[in-house]
Amino acid sequence: MDADLLSDTFVDLADTMVADFDIIDFLHLLTDRSVALLSASAAGVMLADPRGELRVAASSNEAAGLVELFQIQNDQGPCLDCFRTGQPVTATDLAGPGQQWPRFAAAATQAGFRTVEALPMRLRDQVIGALNLFRGDPGPFDPAELRLGQALADVATIGLLHERNVRCSDTLAEQLQRALNSRVVIEQAKGKLAERLGMDMDQAFTLLRDYARNSNQRLTDVAHNFVTSATADFPPPPRRIPAQA
Amino acid sequence: MYVTDLVCEELAELQLTLGEGPCHDVLASAAPVLAADLGDTESSHRWPAFTPEARDQGAGAVFAFPLVVGAIRAGVMGLYRRSAGPLRDGQLGDLLILADVATLLLLDSLGDGDGGAADGDGDGSWLDGQSPDLALHRAEIDQATGMLTVQLRVSITEAFVRLRAYAYSEDRRLADVASDIVARRLRLHPDPEPDPVPDLGP
Repeated sequence: MDADLLSDTFVDLADTMVADFDIIDFLHLLTDRSVALLSASAAGVMLADPRGELRVAASSNEAAGLVELFQIQNDQGPCLDCFRTGQPVTATDLAGPGQQWPRFAAAATQAGFRTVEALPMRLRDQVIGALNLFRGDPGPFDPAELRLGQALADVATIGLLHERNVRCSDTLAEQLQRALNSRVVIEQAKGKLAERLGMDMDQAFTLLRDYARNSNQRLTDVAHNFVTSATADFPPPPRRIPAQA
Repeated sequence: MYVTDLVCEELAELQLTLGEGPCHDVLASAAPVLAADLGDTESSHRWPAFTPEARDQGAGAVFAFPLVVGAIRAGVMGLYRRSAGPLRDGQLGDLLILADVATLLLLDSLGDGDGGAADGDGDGSWLDGQSPDLALHRAEIDQATGMLTVQLRVSITEAFVRLRAYAYSEDRRLADVASDIVARRLRLHPDPEPDPVPDLGP
């Protein structure tokens, strides 16, 4: 495990919390770094909506195939089991015989993943979601990676609660709905941008995120302004101020 | 505005007049506001003018829900209870689903009635035997909505209404239509300009 990457990750996460905080951007950064730190091929954060579904809040890759793999888990899969039990859930060979989640395993294998881990996001005695990790090779994650993975899942929970003091679970409910709706705004923006510029959803997300960072705006605000503006044109990227030598 | 009783009406009017309150905050932030106890200090800090007046009207708790789909804003749903206390287990989920249904009803009432609304009769008949599609959320529905703002040259709200109207008129699941649009197997086109009156000529 790369110690420099580890410390850079925590510095970046903390910076994101202090600056104009955007929960979706924060969770995306977290999934991105989870992939690098835990030698995973892909990662995602799922949040439990009180309406009774698991919803994707962030994914290390915004391509449709991966997002679909998270969405499938509403019916069966490690995230659902993790959410119900509050315990980490592992499968170390999704291509082998006797799968406990046959449809999920088939879809995951087809996407090139053989190992999956779901780590619970917990607040006191409530499970609010899961950090989902995928890997291309079969075989378990090592214990040190899993400990760090759980710490990242806990950081994801803290991020969700960041904007308000937690007095009771109602505040968590408010923040969760805010995050879920932000996700919807971002998906709407991805669609509009992808159609306008003829790019795929992953490219559109990257463009939105980079634009928000370069112009010091919150990702959700950029997405919202773009979706509600009368023009379909995306504003040109601001001129980069060169760093001081 | 739709209200169930006089207290509701008073609370809604209060927030309009004072420019503060749980429903007012919801409009700004698109997140629910669950004020479980108007007697606690947080409520008086947040809404110093609204809180005492609301309590005088007999409200002990107020719960406000945004009626939104991402950047689409249809309104706010506000509920009050005489007694203070948080929502019981399961009530929050039920109220969120209720908010989703209310959102769809409001959006459909914006349709022009000429195939512009998913509910052609305007009487909620689409609810029969169909669960609101919002209850099983899919990213592709939101992406397709965004794509339609460009294809149809309409607002995000109109795009969503048209997407649902198309699915309804083709008798297809919303998620399947959205999937086709995102995969670029299906494109929707703006309504053509009406034909000019033909020149009957000599």
